[in-house]
Amino acid sequence: MSLLVAEGISVSFGGVKAVQDVSFSINEGEVFSIVGPNGAGKTTIFNLISRIYNTTGGRLFFDGVDITRVPAHSIAHLGIARTFQNTELFDRETVLKNLLIGAHIHRTSNVLSDLFFLPGVRRQELAFRKAAEDVIDLLDLRSYRDQVIANLPYGVRKMVEIARALCLKPRLLLLDEPSSGLNPEETEDLSFWLEDIVEDLGITVAMVEHDMKLVGQASDRVLAMADGKVIALGTPAEVQTHPEVLRAYLGD
Amino acid sequence: MRYLKKTRYLQDINLFKHNGQRFWYGLLLLVMCLAPLGLDRFLLGELSLVYIYAIAGVGLMLLVGYSGQVSLGHAAFLAIGAYAHAYFLNLGWPFPLSLFTSMLLTGLIGGLVAIPVLRMSGIYLAVATLAFAVIVEQTLTHWESVTGGFRGMLVPKPEFFSADLNAYIPFYYLCGGVLILVMLAGLNLLRSPTGRAMVAVRDSETSAQSMGINLARTKSTAFAISAGFTGLAGGLFAHKIGYLAPDAFTLLTSIQLLLMVVVGGLGSMHGVIYGAIFIGLLPSGIAVFRDAVPPSIGQIPGLEPGVFGLILVLFLIYEPLGIYGRWQKIRLYFEEFPLYRRSTYKRQKTYLRTERLR
Amino acid sequence: MDLLQLIVSGVSQGCVYGLIALGFVLIYKATEMVNFAQGDLMMLGAYVAVTFINILGWPFGWGLLATLAVMALVGVVLERLLFRPMLGEPHFAVLMLTIGLGFILRAFAGAVWGNEPQALHAPYAGQVLRVGELVIGYENLVIVLGTVLLCTLLYLFFRFTRLGIAMQAASQNQLAAFYVGIPVKRIFSLVWALSALVAAFAGVLTAPVSMIDPLIGFVGIKAFAAAIVGGFGSLPGAILGGLLVGLVEQFAGLYLPPGYADMSAYVLLLVMLMIRPEGLFASMQQKKV
Repeated sequence: MSLLVAEGISVSFGGVKAVQDVSFSINEGEVFSIVGPNGAGKTTIFNLISRIYNTTGGRLFFDGVDITRVPAHSIAHLGIARTFQNTELFDRETVLKNLLIGAHIHRTSNVLSDLFFLPGVRRQELAFRKAAEDVIDLLDLRSYRDQVIANLPYGVRKMVEIARALCLKPRLLLLDEPSSGLNPEETEDLSFWLEDIVEDLGITVAMVEHDMKLVGQASDRVLAMADGKVIALGTPAEVQTHPEVLRAYLGD
Repeated sequence: MRYLKKTRYLQDINLFKHNGQRFWYGLLLLVMCLAPLGLDRFLLGELSLVYIYAIAGVGLMLLVGYSGQVSLGHAAFLAIGAYAHAYFLNLGWPFPLSLFTSMLLTGLIGGLVAIPVLRMSGIYLAVATLAFAVIVEQTLTHWESVTGGFRGMLVPKPEFFSADLNAYIPFYYLCGGVLILVMLAGLNLLRSPTGRAMVAVRDSETSAQSMGINLARTKSTAFAISAGFTGLAGGLFAHKIGYLAPDAFTLLTSIQLLLMVVVGGLGSMHGVIYGAIFIGLLPSGIAVFRDAVPPSIGQIPGLEPGVFGLILVLFLIYEPLGIYGRWQKIRLYFEEFPLYRRSTYKRQKTYLRTERLR
Repeated sequence: MDLLQLIVSGVSQGCVYGLIALGFVLIYKATEMVNFAQGDLMMLGAYVAVTFINILGWPFGWGLLATLAVMALVGVVLERLLFRPMLGEPHFAVLMLTIGLGFILRAFAGAVWGNEPQALHAPYAGQVLRVGELVIGYENLVIVLGTVLLCTLLYLFFRFTRLGIAMQAASQNQLAAFYVGIPVKRIFSLVWALSALVAAFAGVLTAPVSMIDPLIGFVGIKAFAAAIVGGFGSLPGAILGGLLVGLVEQFAGLYLPPGYADMSAYVLLLVMLMIRPEGLFASMQQKKV
């Protein structure tokens, strides 16, 4: 069953066609990677899915629902969470607060009940905290819990961002270059966590990634792009040996 | 240095984190309650004014310090609150109803103003609020049937169950009581999803959106709450000055309010109090200064706004974290002595923080 | 004929707004800072001119040149003292800094030159040009011609001089400009000098027409409206925006009850921000993630 379907999506900025007529589908429960040289339009695909950019053509479906024109803040409510290439955390707050913000879509309180901090809000806060602690345990972030993001090294920030996305309890997780800025050991850990996320939490993962080793280890299917177009789609082994892909990376 | 052993999640959720805090804030409350015993009429009046500024400060801090939306026009909300309250009192409404209604009205107007300006950010928003404030100021002068125009408007004496609240001791307790309520409401917001959404919008709009936070709703909520609190302060301010005229609510007033949150320390509720004390006492300080220096310097007409500007500039360049930030550094210095490193609070410089794509 | 008269005064007032707006845009394009004290720089420029021409009795032309030189220097000093330390700080901090600066400049002007309104002595003051029934004051004519002249000079400067092209490069992409060897920081100083100079020029042009006092800098807010209308980032847009605001104000004075003309610029600003915040002539771009 396809969780996310892209039907011929395109977008252009000014005269530049960043993404042209790209179609793919992501199956429930798989790890789907998008690879390609810089400027191939990988991140743009994520930005289209999370509705930061408007598509200029084509349609997007999530779980059978047309999401081509829903407002950007509704995407999270539908069950799609994401991370960003250069991390977009809430820098002046602690790790814990960032994770609690991740739980925002599950709030049942409103402004008035928040103003008076009614017992319901207190219960909700406890529940959010419990959920955040579960994620902290999963990704081993205990020692950073009360630290302010601005003081953390880049690798940790990357993990915090994944943790924050997990706090949304999404069905589809979009990871934008999760391994960039991580050292080889951390990257190794990451591939294990990816497995945990998919198998234990039942979350479907789509990632943009440069590290071919990680892509090969972790992903079920790979989409290769160049210049905004799809050049190959298949298992990691198939894509890595695909002549078009080799040409895109190595030149003629 | 204090290390807390945390055993329950509620320790992070409750307002007071440990017994030390409970003790000190209790003591502060006691001092606030006993102040009328030791202070004369003038000082008590000044202290009431500080409380009023702090009420508006909580509102402005939620907007500027926690939501990251700059308003150069908060004097307008102060004015709307003050005029509405005086108008309702003149209609013969009871005091609490009038004050409450003017707060709601100001909040409503704040929320409405926010709707068209939602698509703007940064400087555009600041300028829009400035234009709004100028328009409100002009309206106050021209809408004579309600505001009395240039002549101004007398504020009726507040009465509650036939107790005269205008007498300086009851008025002091009134302002203090309202401040504590507003402060609690502000802190409650900050430890619940509404406040966190504001912080998220402040730090990264893109990311907040991807977390499912509705930017438009969060910003207009922040505006409404901020305006409401400022309007409430305006109602009390009306009684403090006794007679309303448009020139009490100018650009300088807006800047004074901004000065309060910047000097106090953006992004901290303690900062509101420090800032309120600062701007509440600054005019008296300048008066003392005028008397102390030779008349040729002391009698410069625009001295007060000039000093305001100078302090604003100095704080922005040398201590952008405000008095609260300075206090934290001093405390850390003594806690870590002799291991304190200056670089702990060194600002990370980006060469250019751009909001443009290219 | 009244209409023509109105257009003439609208255009000449609009040119002043346009020149101040030009200063806003110059600084914004180069440094992404918004200088709210631009109007106060104009005020300061007018007072410096008063010092040279009224008080020291210099000829108008020399007084103008001296004023421009002094104000360019003021621009450089302000940049070094206040704004270079603020590079990379949040925008609104810089915005508030310039507001604070405005208050300081006003207090300074009040202390040095007093709060009484003064007029700058200009050799052409009081003379009028009659075209049929139309009466145009020389002061107004000089404002328009001066604006045209300054704009032409700026155009030539940005188009043909190495320095002007370097400034354009720095304002389009600082990092790239830095890599190709343009001294970006020095360019910033020069941009501030240039914008202070433009503001001073506006001050000298307007000072013979309207009396100056320390508070005239508040027209800066109206000029800001002009900059926004013009698209905040486009130099011709700033001038056109200024003209539009000047004209709207004149016509609002004619058709609306007294007191509302003053508001019209702000209403225009708000309407503009609501319906087309990117302005008439330029496009804003979204932050990249």
